[in-house]
Amino acid sequence: MSPPRPQSLLVIPAFNEARSIGDVVDRVHRTGLDLDVLVVNDGSRDETARLAAEHGASVVSHPFNLGYGAALQTGYKYAVRQGYDYVVQMDADGQHDPAYIPRLLEPVRAGEADVVIGSRFIEASGYEMGSARTAGRVFFQRVLVWCGGPHIADPTSGLQALSRPVVRFCCSDFYPFDFPDIDVILLLHRQGFRIREIPVTMAPSPPMRKPMHAGLRAVYYPYKMLLSTFRSWLTPRVKLLPE
Amino acid sequence: MNPGTIDVDALRRLAIEQPESLSTRILALALCTAFLVAVLVLVRRGRLREEYTPIWTIVALGTMVLSIWFDAVRLLTRAVGAWTPSSTLFFFALVFLLTVSLNYAVRLSGLSLQVKLLAQEVALLRSQLASRASRTLSHMDGDDEAPGDAGEGGAPAR
Repeated sequence: MSPPRPQSLLVIPAFNEARSIGDVVDRVHRTGLDLDVLVVNDGSRDETARLAAEHGASVVSHPFNLGYGAALQTGYKYAVRQGYDYVVQMDADGQHDPAYIPRLLEPVRAGEADVVIGSRFIEASGYEMGSARTAGRVFFQRVLVWCGGPHIADPTSGLQALSRPVVRFCCSDFYPFDFPDIDVILLLHRQGFRIREIPVTMAPSPPMRKPMHAGLRAVYYPYKMLLSTFRSWLTPRVKLLPE
Repeated sequence: MNPGTIDVDALRRLAIEQPESLSTRILALALCTAFLVAVLVLVRRGRLREEYTPIWTIVALGTMVLSIWFDAVRLLTRAVGAWTPSSTLFFFALVFLLTVSLNYAVRLSGLSLQVKLLAQEVALLRSQLASRASRTLSHMDGDDEAPGDAGEGGAPAR
């Protein structure tokens, strides 16, 4: 008789992460945690999917690149359809330490929070961010608070644990294709979900990796985030249909 | 010439009442006809959906009417406060193009969402199929009941 399925699913969105995905999945294995691992291959053009499967992860592959947010959402939809109670998400580039997963899940399992974010900036962790990005982060922190949202030190952290109601809510059409940020946090807060942060340390971005918001994106992203946050601010609370 | 002696209203009336050139009207009519024909050809070949044609048909027919009944353009010119009929035509053409562009941006946004949903469904269904195929193979090999759903490439990692 097969063992009961774990209650938790670890979702790892991945786009061209053949260099690191095997190691990331192995590190999760070594923690001995009772959770399933799902790699969402977002239209990678390298061996990401094959390597993830070889190292023992379940893999769902987009036919073409949709974006980080869409890949996360596919993971959420998988979790809802397969009946998982909790979702943890982490990045595929090796920046996140799976040892933090139990601490992320604990408040969610205890019913004390619906979203737990692993934050680089609650305690001094030595994580360095360029001055422009830091200014952007501080600015959007303030925007979130001005709009009635919580004070979140690290709103773009990809290391998070979510309860099933949050995962179900994030399966809806509002969820961004590209980068869930303060717009999603504000929406979740307005929905009544409890959001907490715990301090974590993260490795620096891998070398030779193109920054997420390079070039014109550095101009487009703040504009898009302001507009999206404005939309979240205006969105009325909706009632989730019972399962 | 002293600007103070110029009768601006008379100048404007002169500009509006200028007789339209026959060659311009013929050119406008010919272009509108060609445009209408192009729309019909594209629809016939299946490259343009019928639902996207009404606005272009109305524009082509409207421009034809204005080419024939030029007084309508003069009326519009006076109404909007323009000086020449050509300014009026350019102004309304610009407003029309802006509106159409915004409309297509809205439609594109809707289509992007649909594409995303489809791609996600395809990915999830493929994963389900792979999982079922893997379970079927396990049963055929006489293994114990297979563990819970696996995606591409194997069992869930622990």
